Amino acid sequence: MDTKNNNDYLWNGSGEPDPEVRRLETMLGGLRHARPAPDFTAIARAEQRSWRPRFLALPWLRFATGVATMLLIAAAGIIWLRSKPNTLSQTAWEVSRVEGSPRVGAQTLHGAGGKGKLDVGQILETDSVSKAGISDEQVGEIEIEPDTRLRLLASRSGARRLSLERGTIHASIWAPAGEFVVDTPSAVAVDLGCVYTLHVDDSGDGQLHTTLGWVGFKLGDRESFIPAGAACATRKNRGPGIPYFEDASNTFRAALTTLDLESSTSRERSAALRVALGTSRQRDAFTLWHLFSRVPDSERGAVFDRLTALVPAPPGVTREGIVRLDRTMLDLWWDQFGLGDVKLWRHWERSWPDQAVSK
Amino acid sequence: MASVAGNKLERLPGGLELQTVIDKPAPVEDAEDVQDDSRLVEAARQGDRASFGRLYDRYGRMVHGILLARVPCREVDDLVHDVFLQALPRLHTLRDVKRFGAWLAAIARNRAMDYYRHAVDEVTLSDDVNQEEIDGQARANSLDAETAFVLAAIRALPEAYKETLLLRLVEGMTGPEIAERTGLTPGSVRVNLHRGMQQLREKLKQTSCGKRDMG
Repeated sequence: MDTKNNNDYLWNGSGEPDPEVRRLETMLGGLRHARPAPDFTAIARAEQRSWRPRFLALPWLRFATGVATMLLIAAAGIIWLRSKPNTLSQTAWEVSRVEGSPRVGAQTLHGAGGKGKLDVGQILETDSVSKAGISDEQVGEIEIEPDTRLRLLASRSGARRLSLERGTIHASIWAPAGEFVVDTPSAVAVDLGCVYTLHVDDSGDGQLHTTLGWVGFKLGDRESFIPAGAACATRKNRGPGIPYFEDASNTFRAALTTLDLESSTSRERSAALRVALGTSRQRDAFTLWHLFSRVPDSERGAVFDRLTALVPAPPGVTREGIVRLDRTMLDLWWDQFGLGDVKLWRHWERSWPDQAVSK
Repeated sequence: MASVAGNKLERLPGGLELQTVIDKPAPVEDAEDVQDDSRLVEAARQGDRASFGRLYDRYGRMVHGILLARVPCREVDDLVHDVFLQALPRLHTLRDVKRFGAWLAAIARNRAMDYYRHAVDEVTLSDDVNQEEIDGQARANSLDAETAFVLAAIRALPEAYKETLLLRLVEGMTGPEIAERTGLTPGSVRVNLHRGMQQLREKLKQTSCGKRDMG
């Protein structure tokens, strides 16, 4: 065998292949890097409030700015500053092992007192026999079920964000409404003051159940509000479905499924709409409200008639306005249900522009 | 997904997706690519996350190889993400954009050291190729025994050799590409590859497994 050629092959792949190098390449090639990049854009969005001016990248300006800042801080008074919350600093979440051996980044938690920290950017993962809990005294507590993988995207005052890639979490949140957000592959779940369970399966589809308060679920322009006692499915590339109270009849729920989440024909959809309207209770008014944005405008009149029979349209809300999906009118009507102030949601939408996943 | 020239995707039992080297390593990148990288780094520093994503595609293999030389296989993918997430907010501290690769490689090596500072009950790499340890690693990382053995043998080589060899044999990078990405001189990489391969051959020959396969 020509040694020079062999060396060339090891060096740049040219010349006569060295059989041993070839064998090792084939054997070890299976270990090669193949994982796609994380969503840096989403991470950047989550961190946008901690953005720093670009000119600070220049060393002398950074130094000068640092000195000036220190003087300003001194002038303003250290005591006053200490009394103010630091809205830019990221805080780690406490992680506690409940069962098995949950992993935080490279660390595995073992034993009864297994504890750790979940920093921004880190992944928490449980296997099929592991459970964990994470908490932040400013935000709330989250139980992590087995076979779950999540990443902490942001954790600072006013913006706490997780990405749930798969699995199940039970969240009890006491942070102000709109501050705690969970990204999933098929929708963004926004806490509006609540306790809820969120599940994401391996395909990226999800299911949300609200126990207390209410949750907003959003993908692009498609949004759903899920009050306590209600549930909502979400499908990858389609977004949140029509939410419903879990005590609704099976007939009603089956009709919603036909209407929203399955590839039904227009004839099937029309029939399902008639069933949904005909079997709806007063308690299902919030579900009918969601139908306005899920049915064609030719069918919105029928929904209006049924909904106004259950919960009369408030002053200022007209049939024509609802048929053209006038947001102010829709919001006015929503507030009649007594399930939550929609202004909270609109405030969140204004505060987190470009927040919805787009997969 | 990082593009890997010359590779194919292979579906294994259990749904595991592996890339198998078909033929020769990926082609060497030229000076234009280096300029492209500098442009990508500049754009990423200005907040362009798509450019940072392109840098991930281009440097992911280097970071993966550096980590694979130091930490258990099953940790490597997560740590690759960690390295890039650590690098992203620090980009403004990089003085010379042309040194991005060397800078990123240093972050990756530090991250591997950091892993051992925090890891609990993890396997410690030693200078010797220990059969019990290899079996344990093979089970833990779903590797076949021979692959685990060769990987352990490479990891037992001196620091400079094992990293360069893994970039060549696992990540499919050519010598010039390794030099360009890591900031090492081509001469150093060539020596590391040559001597590393020589030591690896000897190590494999010393074992019955190696003797059987190397003839």
